[in-house]
Amino acid sequence: MDPWLLVTIAVGFSMAWAIGANDAANSMSTAVGAKAITPKQAVVIAGVLEFTGAYFFGKSVTETIRKGIIDPAKIADPNVLIYGSVAALLAATLWLVIATKFGLPVSTTHSIIGGIVGYGIVYAGASIVNWTRMTQVVLSWILSPIIGAIIAYLVFKTFTKSIFERRDPVRSARIWSPFWIGLAFVVIGTMFYMKVLHGKDLRVGIVHYGIPVGIVIFAITYFLVRLRFPSSDPFIGVEAIFKKAQVITSGYVALAHGANDVANAIGPVAAVYAVATMGMTGMKVPVPRWILAMGGLGIAVGVATYGYRVMETVGKKITELTNTRGFTIDFSAATVVLVASWLGLPISTTHVVVGAVIGVGLARGVKAINKDIVRDIIISWFVTVPVAAVISAIIFEVLMFVG
Amino acid sequence: MQVWTKLFAKSPFKPLIKHAEVVIQTVETLERALRAWYEGDYEKMKKLAVEVDRLEDVADRIKEEIRDSLSSRLMMAVAREDVLIYLHMQDKVADAAEDTAKWLLIKRPRAIPLEIKEIVLNMGTESIKAAKLVYEAIVQMDRVIESGFSESEIEKEYKIIHEIEGVESRIDGLDTELMRTVFEREDELTWGDGTYILNVARTLSNISDKAKDAAERIRLMMNK
Repeated sequence: MDPWLLVTIAVGFSMAWAIGANDAANSMSTAVGAKAITPKQAVVIAGVLEFTGAYFFGKSVTETIRKGIIDPAKIADPNVLIYGSVAALLAATLWLVIATKFGLPVSTTHSIIGGIVGYGIVYAGASIVNWTRMTQVVLSWILSPIIGAIIAYLVFKTFTKSIFERRDPVRSARIWSPFWIGLAFVVIGTMFYMKVLHGKDLRVGIVHYGIPVGIVIFAITYFLVRLRFPSSDPFIGVEAIFKKAQVITSGYVALAHGANDVANAIGPVAAVYAVATMGMTGMKVPVPRWILAMGGLGIAVGVATYGYRVMETVGKKITELTNTRGFTIDFSAATVVLVASWLGLPISTTHVVVGAVIGVGLARGVKAINKDIVRDIIISWFVTVPVAAVISAIIFEVLMFVG
Repeated sequence: MQVWTKLFAKSPFKPLIKHAEVVIQTVETLERALRAWYEGDYEKMKKLAVEVDRLEDVADRIKEEIRDSLSSRLMMAVAREDVLIYLHMQDKVADAAEDTAKWLLIKRPRAIPLEIKEIVLNMGTESIKAAKLVYEAIVQMDRVIESGFSESEIEKEYKIIHEIEGVESRIDGLDTELMRTVFEREDELTWGDGTYILNVARTLSNISDKAKDAAERIRLMMNK
C-alpha cells in the first residue's frame, strides 16, 4: 500500500467526518426543530440514511476533480495530483471545522472546490481553472438562496390559502394535506431517480418515479386522513398530519445528501487511488466500493459524534418552527435542488434551505428570524471558496517543498 | 452547524401572552377587591388591593424582559414597533387596575348608598370584561400568525376587537348614570365621599379605555 494513499484515505475520512458533522443539522433541523423527531432519532435516521446514500447510491465512477473546476489534463506530474488532493481535502476539512466552530453554514461542496482551485492556481496559474464553471458556482451562491426564498414564499402562500383560508378548514385540510404531501413525494421520487440512482432524464424521473410515488402516497394519506382526522381543531390536525410527513421528507434529504456529497470527500481519494494503482488518472475514475464505504462511514461517524450535539441545541432552541412551516421549507428546498440538478448547476442544499427559511419569513410565516445570522450566513458563503483556496495553496506549497 | 439554533429567534408572542395572563390576574384580583368593597368587608378588600399592586409589579417586570429581548435585528411577521406599542398598551391595563386599587385604599368609606355601590360594581364588572377580552385577542393574534394571516382567523379577531369596543358605550351610560345619582343624593354624602366615588368610577372606566387602545394596536398588527 502506497504511504501517500494511506495519508489520503485518512484525510478523506476526516473530510467525510466534517461533512457529517457540518451538514447533519441541515437535513434534520426542520424536523427536530418542529418536534417531529427527537435529536436521538434524528442522529440515528441521519446516520443510517447518509451511509445508505453514500454506499449504495454514491457514484461508483467519480470525478477526480469536483465539477471539473480545474483541468486535470494540465497536470503532468502524478505527484502533483497526490499532493494537491491531500492539500484540498485538508484545507476543506480545516475550513469546515472552523466554520462549524463559529456556527456558519458553509457548503461542503464549495469548500472542496476552493481547495482544488487553490492548489491548481499555485501549480499552473489561473489558466488551469475552468472559469465558466467557476462563474456558475458564484452565480449559484447568489441565485440558489434567492430562488429558494421565492419558491418557499409562493409555496407557503398557496399552502395557507388552500387549507387555512377556507370556510371549513378541516374539510379543506382533508383534501389538501394529502395533495401537498403527494406533491412532495413527486419531487422526492424524481429526486431519488436523479440524485440517488444518478439518472439523467428528468422526464423519465417524473413519469416513472415521481408521479407514481406521488399518487400512491396521496391515496394512502387521503384514506388515513379520511379514517381519522387527528383533531377537531384544523390547526392542530394539520400540524399532526405534517409532523408525520416531515419525518420522511427530512430522511429523504439525508439520503440524497449522502449520495451526493460523499463525492466531495472521496473524489480526491479516488484520484490518488488511481495514481497509486494505475500510475495516472483522467477526469473520471472507477471507485472501489470500500472507499465509498469509508466515505459513508465517515459521514455517519460525523453525524453521531458531532451532529448529535448540534441536533440537541436545535431541538432545544427552535421551538417556533411549526410542522407545516418545516414541511414547506423542506419541500421548497428539495424542489429547487431538483431543478438545479436537472440544469446541471452546482447548487448547495444548505444555501437553498436558508433561502427557503427567509422566504417563509417574508411571507409572514415565521414568527422571528435573526437578521444578524442571515448576514453572517451570506458573508460565510462568499468567503468559503477563497479561504479554502488559500489554505489549500499553503499546504500544497509545503507538501511540494517537503516532497 | 449551530446556525439553525441562531437563525430562529424566540417569537415575542408567547411572552406577550404570558404578560397578558398576569394582566388578567391583576384585573381579576381587582374585581374581587371591588366585590369585597361592595359587601363592606374592608379588611378583605385591603388585602386584595395590595395584591393588585404586587401583580402589577410582576407585569412590569415581564414587560421589561420582553422589551430587552425584542432587538431590532429580528425579522418578524409583525413590525417590532407594533409589538412594543401593543405591549405598552397591554401593560397600561394593569396600571389602570392598580390606580383603582389605590383609590379604594385611600380611605375607609362611610356608608355609601347601595344604589351607588351597585352602579360602581357594574362599571367594574363591565370594564374588567374588556380587559379579559384583551387576553383573548392576543391569543387569537397568535393564531392569526399561525394560519399565515388567513381571512377567517382575522375575522374572528375583529369580532373580539368589536366586543372590546362595545364595552365602551355601556360604560359611558353607567358613568353618566353614576354622576347623576351622586349629585342627586349629594345631601347624604360628604364632599370626600363624592370625590372618592367618582374617582373609583373614573379609574374603573379607564381600565376599559386602555383595553380598547390595546385592541386598536392589534388591529394595526393585522393590517400590514
